[in-house]
Amino acid sequence: MNSLIRSYGKGLTGIFITLTAFWLLLLIILPQAFMLDQSLWSIDKDDQLGMKIDRAYSDLGLLEYDAQQATGDTKPAVQAKIEALKVEIATLESQETDPPREYGLQNYSRMSSLHFSIFVKSIFYALAVTVLAFVVCYPVAFTIAKLATPQRAALLMLGLIIPYAINELLRVYAWLMILDYQGVINSFLAWMGVVSFADKTWVPFLEYPGSVFVALIYAYVLFMIFPIYNTVDTLDKNQLEAAQDLGGSVFLTHWRVVIPHAKPGIAVGCIMTFMLSVGSYSVPQIMTRGKSGDWFSQLIYRQFFETQNWNVGAAYAFSLVLVCLIFILIMMKVFKVGIRDISK
Amino acid sequence: MSAHSNGPGLSGLILKIYIGIFFVYLFAPLLVMSLAAFNSYEYPSVTQWRGWTLHWFGELSEDDRILQGIVNSVIVAIGVVGLSLPLGLSGALILTRLQSRYTNLLYAVLVSPLLIPGIILGISTLIFWGRVSVSGGLFLTVLAQSSFIASYSMLLFMARLQRQDRVLEEAALDLGASSFFMFRRITLPFLAPTLATGAVIGFLQSIENYNTTIFAVGGDWTLVTEIGSRFRFGLSPVINVIGVLFVVLTVIAATLYTIQKEREKQRRAALG
Repeated sequence: MNSLIRSYGKGLTGIFITLTAFWLLLLIILPQAFMLDQSLWSIDKDDQLGMKIDRAYSDLGLLEYDAQQATGDTKPAVQAKIEALKVEIATLESQETDPPREYGLQNYSRMSSLHFSIFVKSIFYALAVTVLAFVVCYPVAFTIAKLATPQRAALLMLGLIIPYAINELLRVYAWLMILDYQGVINSFLAWMGVVSFADKTWVPFLEYPGSVFVALIYAYVLFMIFPIYNTVDTLDKNQLEAAQDLGGSVFLTHWRVVIPHAKPGIAVGCIMTFMLSVGSYSVPQIMTRGKSGDWFSQLIYRQFFETQNWNVGAAYAFSLVLVCLIFILIMMKVFKVGIRDISK
Repeated sequence: MSAHSNGPGLSGLILKIYIGIFFVYLFAPLLVMSLAAFNSYEYPSVTQWRGWTLHWFGELSEDDRILQGIVNSVIVAIGVVGLSLPLGLSGALILTRLQSRYTNLLYAVLVSPLLIPGIILGISTLIFWGRVSVSGGLFLTVLAQSSFIASYSMLLFMARLQRQDRVLEEAALDLGASSFFMFRRITLPFLAPTLATGAVIGFLQSIENYNTTIFAVGGDWTLVTEIGSRFRFGLSPVINVIGVLFVVLTVIAATLYTIQKEREKQRRAALG
């Protein structure tokens, strides 16, 4: 901190600290803290409350009528009853306008078995997407980094980036057009005579989770390729040739030389792909058109904008954060990389 | 190509075929999407071909919600760039200078928005600002997007600052420059390329963002959330036209960038 003040003076340093504090507190920590808080309470609404208030009011009317009729010594007793009833009505009404919050883990523990199975399923799907994306991307990253000539590599890079400038929704939507019932692939199959539109014997690709996988890998391919490319690129070519000269097979060279060197990149690629897949709302929403099998992210969306239960929604959202955190910690442990190696 | 790649001819050939298939995988969807923009059929399709048309381009130019969405997206993106560059720069300066055992923790928290799913950033922003009665809208979208776009720009600034030669700054101070003057004349010019890159990346990230925006945008809309809602209520090839425009803009920008880089390289080579 002293070194900052020495260079930039107290005024500028103060501005830097203020801005960072604003970002740290108001954009990162407090929102997460409030989301956690929201997930830890629920409002226990008494369904009978409205009826109880109505009944109390009708009782009050009767008592007031009694009070008018009453004479002499019974009057104070009735008046006392009226006061007591008014106090009761006031408490009931305050419960209705500002219901008491009940703190606890109920939003987490009351997850229905259906929602829980979707939660687990989404994690497994995201893991599958991560593994598949690695298998698909590794050869490409290696080729660009080590095999292609510089001009060729630049061209391949450009080819990777162009699909990325198109919006994620449109990228996914293109796959919808390809895999749809009367989409490109089914039309091709029909032309081959394998399926028939008239008999509705088309292949229902969109009902398989695989179609979401294809679109997810397509949508986030760059996040796997770039980190791996960056680390493989720093590998000395002599090491590859040495491995070759010593008689290492292609597989062995990769397993013992390239992959150990590329570990940080692989860890980052896997973390990003897993996080993006498990948290993607757009891709499953478009590919399944909200019909076949929700993903957990879609459930979260529904809690906020359809059933309007923000407490449960916050609990689901926080569960997702925990899953990502655990995944990151596991990857850091398995690949033996530190937080500084991540997100480079 | 090195001996390694083509040495065992078969594996080299397999790899080449694989790379070919991979790029077909990347580009086939773009081709399908672009073609459907020129099809007369009123539902986006390439298999039900009803003849070429430019009708949907005209339709787009009269679509008020889409046009307003573009304006909103640009407003949000400008706000995000304006907020996330100063935040990212401040964070980077503090992290590169701070010698404390909490530096790593601070670093971890400041990059955490990149490692958290986008929907979570949108949700937490919505909940937190809702407590202080700021409801969803373009302003909240700027805040939600800035939380992670600032992390991107911070990483860019940190990479640049690590290559900074502090001698220049110290010399300026020794010669009696005020720290503010020094920052403006030495530090900022040194960071200028990163400021430019950060602004471009932040702008594109903001325009493209859907998962965070959908939660924070409330009753307003951006181009992308408008496209998202069309998936539910009536698709038309107007969506494809937007895709075509994106493709064309990208190809132009990428070509200009490559030409620019080539020229720089030649100029540098000429200077020798």
